[in-house]
Amino acid sequence: MVQAEMISAMEFQALSQKHNVSGVPQTTINDGAANVVGAVPESNMVTELKRITGK
Amino acid sequence: MAELLNADVVKQIEDAFAPMKEAVHIMYFGQKENCDYCADTQKLLEEVAVISEKLSLEIYDLDKDADLAKKFNVDKAPGIVITAKDGKTISDYGVRYAGIPSGHEFTSLIQDILLVAGRDSGLMQETRDFLKELTEPVLLQVFATPT
Repeated sequence: MVQAEMISAMEFQALSQKHNVSGVPQTTINDGAANVVGAVPESNMVTELKRITGK
Repeated sequence: MAELLNADVVKQIEDAFAPMKEAVHIMYFGQKENCDYCADTQKLLEEVAVISEKLSLEIYDLDKDADLAKKFNVDKAPGIVITAKDGKTISDYGVRYAGIPSGHEFTSLIQDILLVAGRDSGLMQETRDFLKELTEPVLLQVFATPT
């Protein structure tokens, strides 16, 4: 149910621009439903996913 | 083309791969045109794959193998899927790379291979419980630069 894609921001600039990547790492969830810059501790990731999915 | 990994790095990866429990299968998707890093990425994976007998690698083309790419949600080249292999069964653990895994991302690649080899995410029980409740697919895209 979860897919995680590590993206080289330099190689895929159009996609990086679409998601306004300015600092790395940036984690973009569900095509922009949420964007988190910097490291994402596991509990923070769960909090974000709960907010997005409404679970 | 010269080797991308020097002997010291190969030795380090050998040591890292030594405790690999189960087999890992890497699917690589390249593209003939407009892919600056495809050749290097393929070569890098070929050099990594020969380091452990528990690792296998299959080379695909994003255009020629479009059906397979679609099945595995690969839409970028170079694209890498790290899967678990048990006998002839390939299990998708949702781990993808888009672009060459160099610099810090190379370390991530090796760690992801080990993670899939262990067949365990290492996540907390409450996280696992939450993820089990998901009814819609979640896509996490982590943008990084190879420094």
